[in-house]
Amino acid sequence: MHNVGASPRRGGGYGRVTGHQEYLADIKLNDVLHVKLVTLDVARARILSIDTSDAEQVPGVAFVFTPDDLPKPMPRFGPIFQDRPVLAEGEIKYHGEPVAAVAADTKDAAEEGALRVKVNYEKLPGGVFTIADALAPDAVLVQDPALRPGDPLADTNVMSEKRFGWGDIDAQEADLVVEDTYQFPMVTHFAIEPHGFMAAPEDGGIALWSTIQHPYLLQKMMAKMLGLSLSKVRVQAPDPGGGFGGKQIPKYEPLIAYMALKAGRPCRLVLSLDETFQAVRRSSAEIRVRTGFNSEGYIQFQDIETNFLVGAYVDIADRVVGKSSYAAAGPYRVPAAKIIGRTIVSHTMPSTAFRGFGIPQISWAREMMMDEAALRLGIDRLEIRLRNLARFNDEFIPLERADGDWEQTVRIAAKRIGWGDPLPPDHGRGIAVGLKSGPTTGLSYSTVRLLFDGSAIVYAGTSDMGQGARTIFAQIAADELGVDFDQVRVVMGDTSVVPYDQQTSASRSSVLMGTAVQRACHDVQQKVADRAAKHYGLDEDSIKIASGLLVLPDREVSLVEVVQEVLAPLGGEIIGNGEMRKDKDPNHPLGGTAAFFEFNCTASEVKVDKDTGHVTVIKHVTVGDVGKSLNPLQVQSQDDGAAIMGLGHTLMEHYIFDDEGRVRNIGAIDYRILTSMDLPLELHSESVENADGPGPYGIKGVSEGSLLVTAPAVGAAVRDATGALIRDLPMTPQRVWEALQEAKSEA
Amino acid sequence: MNTMIEIDVTINGRPRTLEVAANHTLLEMLRDDVDLTGTKECCVVGECGACTVIVNGRAMNSCLMLAAEVDGAEVVTVEGLEMTDDLSPLQGAFLDEGAAQCGFCIPGQLMAATALLMHNQDPSVEEIQEGLAGNLCRCAGYEQITKAVMAAARGAIDA
Amino acid sequence: MNKFEYARPETVAEAVDLLAQFGDDARILAGGTDLVIELRNRWTEPKVVVDVKRIPEFAPSITEHDGVVSISAGAVMADVTASDLMHREFPALPEAAVVVGSVQIRARATVAGNICNGSPAADTSPPLLVYGAVVVVAGPSGKRRIPIDDFIVGPGKTALERGELVLAIELPIPGRPSGSAYTRLTRRRGTDLASITLCCGVDGNGTTRLSYGSVGPRAFLVVDDSGVLADPSVPIAEKVEPLDRMFYQASPSLRSLRASPDYRLAMLRVLGARALETAISRMTKELVT
Repeated sequence: MHNVGASPRRGGGYGRVTGHQEYLADIKLNDVLHVKLVTLDVARARILSIDTSDAEQVPGVAFVFTPDDLPKPMPRFGPIFQDRPVLAEGEIKYHGEPVAAVAADTKDAAEEGALRVKVNYEKLPGGVFTIADALAPDAVLVQDPALRPGDPLADTNVMSEKRFGWGDIDAQEADLVVEDTYQFPMVTHFAIEPHGFMAAPEDGGIALWSTIQHPYLLQKMMAKMLGLSLSKVRVQAPDPGGGFGGKQIPKYEPLIAYMALKAGRPCRLVLSLDETFQAVRRSSAEIRVRTGFNSEGYIQFQDIETNFLVGAYVDIADRVVGKSSYAAAGPYRVPAAKIIGRTIVSHTMPSTAFRGFGIPQISWAREMMMDEAALRLGIDRLEIRLRNLARFNDEFIPLERADGDWEQTVRIAAKRIGWGDPLPPDHGRGIAVGLKSGPTTGLSYSTVRLLFDGSAIVYAGTSDMGQGARTIFAQIAADELGVDFDQVRVVMGDTSVVPYDQQTSASRSSVLMGTAVQRACHDVQQKVADRAAKHYGLDEDSIKIASGLLVLPDREVSLVEVVQEVLAPLGGEIIGNGEMRKDKDPNHPLGGTAAFFEFNCTASEVKVDKDTGHVTVIKHVTVGDVGKSLNPLQVQSQDDGAAIMGLGHTLMEHYIFDDEGRVRNIGAIDYRILTSMDLPLELHSESVENADGPGPYGIKGVSEGSLLVTAPAVGAAVRDATGALIRDLPMTPQRVWEALQEAKSEA
Repeated sequence: MNTMIEIDVTINGRPRTLEVAANHTLLEMLRDDVDLTGTKECCVVGECGACTVIVNGRAMNSCLMLAAEVDGAEVVTVEGLEMTDDLSPLQGAFLDEGAAQCGFCIPGQLMAATALLMHNQDPSVEEIQEGLAGNLCRCAGYEQITKAVMAAARGAIDA
Repeated sequence: MNKFEYARPETVAEAVDLLAQFGDDARILAGGTDLVIELRNRWTEPKVVVDVKRIPEFAPSITEHDGVVSISAGAVMADVTASDLMHREFPALPEAAVVVGSVQIRARATVAGNICNGSPAADTSPPLLVYGAVVVVAGPSGKRRIPIDDFIVGPGKTALERGELVLAIELPIPGRPSGSAYTRLTRRRGTDLASITLCCGVDGNGTTRLSYGSVGPRAFLVVDDSGVLADPSVPIAEKVEPLDRMFYQASPSLRSLRASPDYRLAMLRVLGARALETAISRMTKELVT
């Protein structure tokens, strides 16, 4: 076993460093029509009419696609509620919602055409842009109540209200109760590759290309929408150039599909970066936390209300709310909890999945409140967490058990940051713990072909968007089959070639698809063993299977050698299949227990320039309980990357709106993410590996852990350095300065 | 004066004569006219560096240059880094250090790094971070990228 | 972008003729880092784009003659940061140039383009104002020299008239002893547009020249001859009020995206004090050596 646990060169790496890798925008289709979206520069408007005559005159424009070109009633789609129209119907509900689309022979002509489409509209006053707006008694309704027949909440902007909890919080006795409300801003994924979509009619069906993370979900949705069998819908999904959740759910594929079917030609839409800002974001939130403690700092109850503002269409955000709220009380021993989570719609761009899936938003509030209690009770902020931390196998949420030695993770982080060491002036430290549930259901299939010459091909429907799925599946296959890592090809991204995979999300792939790949390899091994038994005239029971080997009564022989013997002289291959299924559990509020938990402890030391409010992260430590690092370099890269991304929403990222709901800072100049010059002076990511996960070799999932509690670790450090408490992210220099001024005037 | 301009430009060592639209950028010319799609399009305002190419020895954002401006110039794109039969030491270092995750920013990072090493064979970590400060990476593989550039520089010095 | 024609004049006269002929329907293409963005967004839709980089006078150069340093209109930020002459005589200008965007931007963006674009947040404006730069301009009526304070008019507006273009920026070498420093306020340490730009220069005669931008329609130059601010022996606490008065021109926009008015005004004081201290310490070093 020498590939698993090592860090061989990344699968697909060669293409990435030579420029030969084909991302979606690099794929050239013959006779393609370029598509440009038509949008309005307002947040809310009633569409009165669309005049396409000028646009149609532009040389090269093939047609202008409007709601009139779509079936009636307007097709709507969405993974939970089918609320999103293919094109805005009668009304736009957010700044940037497309009202029409132009198809042309060249990009220039499409752009020209889009400028000449005349939309006659009536701006609508006001709108729902904040949670207060949404919940006001006279609030405008963002969605038509008729879309939710029989729903008692249909006449509100609350799409759903979830209640979780255990015990009776009112029966608990607390010596200290702390309560406060925290805000998490709207931020966007800003993958360096903007979303892209192509469609072409194909032999009684349709071919689709998309940057999508869930090709099979797209296939299913489009088959249903277009009335086609799955076999007639082919989705090709090249490795996305960054996803982070923003490419999970279909967005403009339906539009492009309808356009291609109308045109009888391929259609191509690649968004500009600016357009992605108006297409995807994280659900923003207001989190109210009320926690009761006894005098020793032990939690007596958690009373948490999470209000998530999800945008005009729900997309997957309702799941974000449910899943994160369920675990809102955190990785602690909590005798009683009451949690209410709300999915609230607004006249803003729709939110979708984003790394962390609601946990960063909730943890921001909950962890800062732990610090508040520690400060008031005079207990060390590390100590209060150690006292309350759930221990291995604790049923810390009903039906869920702590699946790791989390205390170990916390102690390592504390040690690395030098918790308790003296600090220079203007420096401060913070520490926080966070937890995210892995997938609650799952279904992954894999096929592995061991070829006659000892090379292998692995089929895995996971999307490799940089987390390195390709590489680890090759590592697993190489070790299980005894094949050279460099001789394993991993095939992904084509629903007509690769068997089904539910989706790539929730850090699931190393556990779910990893298991499927491993089982497919075991299937290959078993088939080889069966043929060997016949070939050598041995009893089947006398052959043992080990990684890459068959152990015969008298000797060990490599799997490949046996294959070459038993398949000679014609050659051929051995094909194995594997499946990993985690079924839905109807008795569980989330549809299933978590396959594993991503547990993380983040500790940060900052220095604050009290005159300007600038925060410099001196040292940032993140430790995750990963089970096993299949590829340590990839794990570290993901952890570093997640931490840096977390520093983004902590220190500088946010959408800025005007008071009419339009986004003011679209694009790279005024939406700030971390550059190479903004890194912590010292960044340290570490993994705890106790092989206690459900996946191959004891792995759990990784990739989200390190941004779960970046904000409270840094927020606590800023408070430690300055005494100023900030409840709204991001902690821009101006915000920090304002908090310092406020603290000064209160003193 | 014209809306279509004829230019002579050397791309990755190969002299070409091309007719380009006056209102097309160098980025569009590379990706659409000469089919070199290794150079990527992202922010198109000169902030992200995904479109970085080397023109006459200097790293530049091809999204902010009109195609006509490279008449008479030498342009190197990521496709021009490979040596016959092998990756350049810098490309190899990027693979060894795990610098490429999703990979979309990597062509730009490679070009900025190549230009840096052309002018500074022994850069410090700070100099590398500054030299690549115009290349955004959302996977945030900055540390791995910096290490890779350092390794390539060291490798060239030690060789 | 709209469909425009591309012209590449080979002499100043040719360029002037084109610009005079087309007026507002022509745009000058030097580095392109501002223009191409405007073209792509259709904030400008010219009939002709005039690429001036083939004109011999535009060739990037930074040269000294008779106590005056001339920066050609084609000189880019990278040329300024690489120039020993600049670092020696006008340290605040390379200090400003090095923070204009990234390496890629600095390989293209010209100093001349920076001031012609006329953003109130232009990084090179405050140093040029403090150093008393003069802009050399060619036009239909011949050459003229415009002091920088007159050249900068307002957001996107300069003193250039129809048919005119910048040939060079001239800076008289400051008398000794003197010290100067540039600083700015940004949202992150990485490349950013400035929410405040600020340059401070002091000299042995006791004059303090302070220029600040991004807090009003243009960068302002304010001069203090009292000697208090520039005096190394006066404690910083006594400089607070006089320094404060230097910022009377600041009127930050209420609608600004990058920083609130209150924050900007407060940071002007903080950064102003820091830049003043740096300028004084640089001057003091010169006194010692």
